[in-house]
Amino acid sequence: MIALVLGGVLTLGAFFGAFFWAGVPDFGFVRTAEQVDSVRYKGPFEQPIDEARYLANYAGYTVEVETGGESVRGELVSADEDSVEVATDSGAVTIDAADFEAATVFGSEYGRPDWGQKIFYFHVPVAEISFIVFAFAAFYAVRFLMTRNREYDTKGRVSMEVTLVFVGLTMATGILWTKAAWGVWWDWEPRLTTYFILTLLVVAYFVLRNSVEDEERRAVYGAVFSILAFIDVPISFFITRLIPSNHPVIERGGLEGPMLISFIVAQIGMIALGYAIYQLRMGEVQLQERIEQAKTLLER
Amino acid sequence: MLRKDIVMELRTKEMIMSMGLYSLLTMVVYFVALSQAGSSFDPRDIAAGLLWLAFIFTSMLGLNRSLVHEKDQGCLEALLLSPVDRPVIFFAKAGGNLIFLLAVEALTLPVFGFLFLQGTELDWSSLALIPLALIAGSVGIAGVGTLLATMSVNTSGKDFVLAMLFIPLMYPLLLGAVTATGGAIVGGAQGVSVFWTGMAWVLGYDVIMLLASYGLYEFIVGA
Repeated sequence: MIALVLGGVLTLGAFFGAFFWAGVPDFGFVRTAEQVDSVRYKGPFEQPIDEARYLANYAGYTVEVETGGESVRGELVSADEDSVEVATDSGAVTIDAADFEAATVFGSEYGRPDWGQKIFYFHVPVAEISFIVFAFAAFYAVRFLMTRNREYDTKGRVSMEVTLVFVGLTMATGILWTKAAWGVWWDWEPRLTTYFILTLLVVAYFVLRNSVEDEERRAVYGAVFSILAFIDVPISFFITRLIPSNHPVIERGGLEGPMLISFIVAQIGMIALGYAIYQLRMGEVQLQERIEQAKTLLER
Repeated sequence: MLRKDIVMELRTKEMIMSMGLYSLLTMVVYFVALSQAGSSFDPRDIAAGLLWLAFIFTSMLGLNRSLVHEKDQGCLEALLLSPVDRPVIFFAKAGGNLIFLLAVEALTLPVFGFLFLQGTELDWSSLALIPLALIAGSVGIAGVGTLLATMSVNTSGKDFVLAMLFIPLMYPLLLGAVTATGGAIVGGAQGVSVFWTGMAWVLGYDVIMLLASYGLYEFIVGA
């Protein structure tokens, strides 16, 4: 219960930290502010241009073109490899690209705060916890096979249930983020693929358990399968560092100040939440077992 | 025990027949699946994927059958009573499955080439590498598959449970095997280097998974 409260408080705190304290990275460069929601005016900008064709992107901006010792100022109509057309106060001027010397573009710069990245403070801790709880499940599986103590089987099973919860959360938040950042709901990319396989393995664990009648056998099969399935965890974790992948990786020293603190708080909070879910479910399972025992005793 | 499996197979020819025919039927399904694509694609690019698709489904059929036999006739229990080391049982069963799988692959490969790769330019020197990929891939399939099939024969939904356990666990091996086979089919210096990258994945998987299966088989068979 303490873990649940602590986890809740810390995770909430991390969210507040993430949203109101940690900096929001600017997402690209927005030219036409009206077209995009949540844009921020960042101030005027002056962009020096050294070749005529680079002006092509700035149609509609105020430009100052240096040509043959004099400068022409006005609204840019069009520009390509051959010529530049500028609408000045005294009529349109066409400048041959051969006479083009330099130009400056004047405009306002808008940045779009990238709120989509905020899911990082939820998605990454949740994914980490799914790996950690899976590791506990595999550890209890080994312990069970060594000792044949049914207590370890129950612990392993409950750990696997918690893993399923966190794997589901990771998948859900990951899919939302992929849509926001990559523009697609799903991509067959190494990290996503291996994590999808991990999801299937966790589901397969429960399919296997539910289709075995004998209790002893169910426990052994479950333990053996969770050890085999655990091999996918290091693969999924390290694959983004081994082969080229679109999935971002946090580099050492990549997070600083408020971002790092929010991230750490989110991690601790999520660990506490995971532990709380595990303990609550464990209590429920133990209670069920005691009821079953009491029932069999009463029937005698 | 391996000899028993082979002798029984030679007598009934059941496994090879069923697996071979199954993989032939898969070829028919491939033809139907590709019938709308015309000739606008290079069949060499998808050949490796199609081949391993056939192998993976055929091997599941074979694995299921080989263990169902043991269970129906009570052989596994008899074996457990006999003074044989448990790992020996694993290697004998896996060896039998490996031999049948390789036999079916050897039959399927020319048929596949005959049906789908006619008229494409093939580099025979790199094609000679394909058997290596087939053997390395089949070792993994037979080893892990034997372990999983021993589990799944004792469950209520045999085939489905085997598929559910087998395919996700096979994913790294399949990816490596398809990469390697694809490299060998496309050929050239680049194809050969892709082949060895794929083979590194497959061999790494084989070593880790065979050790794990070998270690865990004792628990499964004793449960």
